[in-house]
Amino acid sequence: MWAFSLSYFLLVPEKKNMKKEKYMYLLALLPFLLVAFLYEIVPLIMIIVNSFQPDSGGGFTLENYQTVFTQLLYQKAIRNSIKISLISSIAGILVAFIGAKAVYHGSGRLNTIFMTLLNVVSNFAGVPLAFAYMILLGNAGFIVHLGQSIGWDALAGYNLYTSNGMAMIYVYFQVPLATLLLIPAFRGVHRQWKEANTLLGGTNGIFWRKIGIPVLMPSILGTFSVLFSNALAAYATVYALMMNNISLLPVQIAGSYVGEVKTKPGLGGALSVTMMFIMVIMILITNGISRRFQKGRA
Amino acid sequence: MQKKNIWNTAVIVLIMLYLLVPLIVSVIYSLFEKWTDVLPEHFSLGSYMSIFADPAFRSSIVRTIVMCIIPIIITTIIVLLALFVTTAFFPRLEKYVQIICMIPYTIQGVILSVSILQRYVGSKSFLSNRLVMLTGAYCIIILPYIFQGIRNGMRAVNMSMLLEAAEMLGASKLYAFFRVVVPNIISAVVVSSLLAVGIIFGDYVLVRNLAGTSFQNMQIYLYQTMKSDSVKASAVFVVIMLVTCIIAGVVLTLQNRGKKPDKS
Repeated sequence: MWAFSLSYFLLVPEKKNMKKEKYMYLLALLPFLLVAFLYEIVPLIMIIVNSFQPDSGGGFTLENYQTVFTQLLYQKAIRNSIKISLISSIAGILVAFIGAKAVYHGSGRLNTIFMTLLNVVSNFAGVPLAFAYMILLGNAGFIVHLGQSIGWDALAGYNLYTSNGMAMIYVYFQVPLATLLLIPAFRGVHRQWKEANTLLGGTNGIFWRKIGIPVLMPSILGTFSVLFSNALAAYATVYALMMNNISLLPVQIAGSYVGEVKTKPGLGGALSVTMMFIMVIMILITNGISRRFQKGRA
Repeated sequence: MQKKNIWNTAVIVLIMLYLLVPLIVSVIYSLFEKWTDVLPEHFSLGSYMSIFADPAFRSSIVRTIVMCIIPIIITTIIVLLALFVTTAFFPRLEKYVQIICMIPYTIQGVILSVSILQRYVGSKSFLSNRLVMLTGAYCIIILPYIFQGIRNGMRAVNMSMLLEAAEMLGASKLYAFFRVVVPNIISAVVVSSLLAVGIIFGDYVLVRNLAGTSFQNMQIYLYQTMKSDSVKASAVFVVIMLVTCIIAGVVLTLQNRGKKPDKS
């Protein structure tokens, strides 16, 4: 009893101090919150508010959403965007996993050169990327000429200006991004685990299937949602190649803000909210699966 | 073991080739006057000479570099601080920080620029300055990449254990974070900063919408020349790639130099 009350008096003040100190550290969150509020959250709220207002101004309406979900043009844009994002993200992750694994096993100069190249190439997006693919695979592109002269129809007849043709470009800009994000994660796969696995008679394949990939899974899923959003919102490349002649969400959004006759912030807002909704769902799904893997780890 | 090394080397070389082909083709394109068949004709450096004779192009390089460095420094610091607070004290808040960091994907590019413009263009304070708006937009646009990179690094080093160990040795948590955790995840920090350089260098939509074509950075210059002369544009493109190579080289050298004291 004595001991209990003594420890009570000794411990409580310290606990209180610690708690105070803990909340002092919240101040370190302030710079982050300030930037986020000024340039992300407040503008975002304005877009959401716009989406519930008629373009004539004032009042409340669901008209904009009705347009988005009933008009074929916008339905097609949503479907195309999800499709091209999923395909290019999966392809990007596969290549990146193989690449990051090779970096993990390898060492020295080749890795340094590879990392440098990845960084340089990850800048390679938007207008310049569209330009390079035009030279490479456009109607008068180098590879198309090559295909014609060696008589390879798949290359000679390659059409860059379709959503399938564009998928090539999407995969191209996903690979360096995915690889750069996965390489640090591989450092969490300790080499001792591999030795332990070998000592217990496990093969290389068993190691990656039972240990390596499950440990990496949270990072892989995190990277996947990065890639998906990256593809979903890609605009400059598409615009540089196709102008407004392709049905994708970002193109439709830009079109309703920078319209030729007059802007439609309400419709643009509704389309933006739809795009954000798709994104949030993807994050929730990947987080849900990721949590399952982390539980298994603990 | 030997066989495996060959396989790894082959994988890396193959991916590098895949990534390099469009670049190499663009470089060759910029060096010849005509390329309408399999092989290009008439070697010439004329396109390079004409862009470097243009003072507008030279000042566009400076503008681009400055607009890269400032947002990256700001964002790296605020994300490190935020992740320090959430990991060390308020693990529950990390989810919200993550959501804030992930949102920029969906509002990036067109939407982000239009919404920031709408919000601040009428403001009477310094917030209506176009370059301030652009800096803010760049901070937000690189947020997901910096966040993901740093968090991946933190996951790999088991940060809470490092902090606890340092605390037991008498360090405060903030000190431990910057002297123990940050040096351990410095490669993740550097890699994510490199990614951010790439994103800002590659941006066209934000700079056009927020700063306007009068703030002529390299991307705006590229777009404008692309419309008039594709050979000249490919020369601009090659210069952009060279500048990026130099920045990447500098940062990687710094990273390696930072590692050396640990070894000794």
